[in-house]
Amino acid sequence: MNDKITQDNSSGNEPDIILEVKDLHKSFGDHEVLKGISTTIRRGDVLALIGPSGCGKSTFLRSLNLLETPTSGQVLFEGTDLTSPTVNINHVREKIGMVFQQFNLFPNKTILENITLAPVTLGKKSKREAEAQAFALLERIGLKDKASSYPSQLSGGQKQRIAIVRSLAMDPDIILFDEPTSALDPEMVKEVLSVMQELAESGMTMVVVTHEMGFAREVANRVMFINEGIIQEENTPEQIFSAPKNPRLREFLSKVL
Amino acid sequence: MKPMKKVFLSILILTAAVLMCCGCSVSKDQSSSTESASISSVDDLSGKRIGVQLGTTGDLYCTDYEKDGSGTVVERYNKGADAIQALRQGKIDCVVIDEQPAIKFVEQNDGIRILDEEFTNEDYAFVLSKDNTTLLDQINQALDELKADGTIESIEKNWVGAESELGKSPYEKKDVDRSNGTITIGTNAEFPPYESYSDGQIVGIDIDILQAVCDKLGMDLQIEDMAFDSIITAVTSGKVDVGASGFTITEERKKNVNFTESYTTSKQVIIVKDTSAQNSRLSFADKLKQSFIDNDNYQYLLKGLGNTLLITLFAIIIGILFGFLIAIVRTSHDRNGSLPLLNGICRLYLTIIRGTPVMVQLLIIYYVILANINTSKILVAVVAFGLNSAAYVAEIVRSGIMAVDIGQFEAGRSLGLNYSQTMRSIILPQAIKNILPALCNEFISLLKETSISGYIGLMDLTKGGDIIRSTTFQAMIPLISVAIIYLVMVVGLSKIVGILERKLRNNER
Repeated sequence: MNDKITQDNSSGNEPDIILEVKDLHKSFGDHEVLKGISTTIRRGDVLALIGPSGCGKSTFLRSLNLLETPTSGQVLFEGTDLTSPTVNINHVREKIGMVFQQFNLFPNKTILENITLAPVTLGKKSKREAEAQAFALLERIGLKDKASSYPSQLSGGQKQRIAIVRSLAMDPDIILFDEPTSALDPEMVKEVLSVMQELAESGMTMVVVTHEMGFAREVANRVMFINEGIIQEENTPEQIFSAPKNPRLREFLSKVL
Repeated sequence: MKPMKKVFLSILILTAAVLMCCGCSVSKDQSSSTESASISSVDDLSGKRIGVQLGTTGDLYCTDYEKDGSGTVVERYNKGADAIQALRQGKIDCVVIDEQPAIKFVEQNDGIRILDEEFTNEDYAFVLSKDNTTLLDQINQALDELKADGTIESIEKNWVGAESELGKSPYEKKDVDRSNGTITIGTNAEFPPYESYSDGQIVGIDIDILQAVCDKLGMDLQIEDMAFDSIITAVTSGKVDVGASGFTITEERKKNVNFTESYTTSKQVIIVKDTSAQNSRLSFADKLKQSFIDNDNYQYLLKGLGNTLLITLFAIIIGILFGFLIAIVRTSHDRNGSLPLLNGICRLYLTIIRGTPVMVQLLIIYYVILANINTSKILVAVVAFGLNSAAYVAEIVRSGIMAVDIGQFEAGRSLGLNYSQTMRSIILPQAIKNILPALCNEFISLLKETSISGYIGLMDLTKGGDIIRSTTFQAMIPLISVAIIYLVMVVGLSKIVGILERKLRNNER
């Protein structure tokens, strides 16, 4: 699938740009976490964000759908500047899915309700359409029998797969993953990663903050190493993992691999 | 249904235990105090425990004794009947009170008597606001005419005359044109024979005389029952036109209100325990009958219960509506700094409401804020208790919202739901489940707090029991019954919330 992506990139087709980040800065009080990040994400990209804890990669990811408000800089989603005060961020977020480390399923709702809540509440689909789609998605990840269960009855891996399906139900153009496997027991990591891999192969655009170097190497077509609030190195996985240039990256990789 | 039975059984056992304790304590009090009372004239009052009704002239005069350093203690009761009860139980040595009520009290209670020597003589008159001189002149003229034609004398004879005259000349309301407006009077219907409840109506000498005045003036008469010490404030604030509750003309009161001409003279007398009389005690069954059956007394409890439930229900509704509103403003501000002005107002509101007693709030709303507006007292109580409860509900709800994991909020927002959609379909349902026990507690407190409604003369359950207490001179049965009714309501309310809680909890874990 990397071939396909490369092909897309090489075509240089500008409408294929989904996200464009320009000189993004973010401070919490006096502490500057992001010190000017710029990048472009194209349709079909699978971008893995790696870096040590506290380097700013999660903050960067959360800035992409404005869960964190940037201090300065621009985030353009399909040409719309999200930092502009006139933008209806709720409309934009319908197109940007997000998957959290802690799953954040709604504990008082069934799995089916978790998946259909947003499309139905926002009037994107009728209840019947949303449920049909939800069953189809559940079928795809093999959890159809859990439709009427509550999140508390599921394992961590199952919850995270449901969370992915929940974001898919909004038919997003891109999905942001914030350390999706970090809260899982080791034996459940695989089932989540394989769903993500399948998603990537289907052409979904994804930005993934991850500590799973295997995933970054196998599934991503681009890897970005962030440290101390700036992009230290960005390249194909092959280059990043076999020929890292940045000394920080080399140090980081020596610790995690 | 098994737990229900258990609850019922424990209430029964508790009741029996309380009744037994009451019985014991009453008899012990009565036996131990017989020797302490040794008042035979006014001169003996010094150094004694004197019972009076709060704000009466008896209170005024006895307060001088309290200040003379002889160790005299003045116990001030809200009702004359309470003072009499205290005297009978030996908590005080004597009661100083107006002669006519004293006669009634002594008639109805064994073991007490009036001293031959009176405490003082005094004139009774009605009170009006200083700036209502037109009505004052009209009433004075009417009183003159009523004195001249013998109406007042006939009314007094009907209530306090010789045995042959009692009840023989009741004042009949005249069929006249009443187009000249309404006189609203404030009274304290626990002061027989001037005013008291009889068959659910307020009747008495004062009422008859003012009815006669209204007949003369071609006006309607409307009666408001309230605490005695609130009447003068009600008159000065314009809440009522005329205060009529056996008011003695005193210099102190003249500073605040105008008096009409005196319509009768009375005395303050001293009631003491009659050590010579043997106590003929009513059997428990007789007491029950006297408390509930005689004069359809149970109606006071029923009507009071109805009002208590009405006030509580609507106060809960107001509390929930305003409480949630305030909580949402406060959390929106905490989460994203929006609505700073509204948040400031809400915080001020919470500080004031939670920083002052609900009883003071009730009195302020009735006597200050709504002083000149003639609204139903139920409405006043609903507003007061509702606004009070809202402050507590708000903080409970706010803590509930803040306790829902921030990730839930972010998950909702990241799906494209706006702030209020996220609140409504994700955060609030979870918050409500968490705060249900705390909310239940708040509403139980609210139900019990409504028992102070009597302070604005509203007949709630507690006041209903008080009326029975003051007409039958039985303290135990009305009070215990009222307590049991509250208890049953609270247990019922807890049950309902328990069921609701279990139902919600089924969804999770």
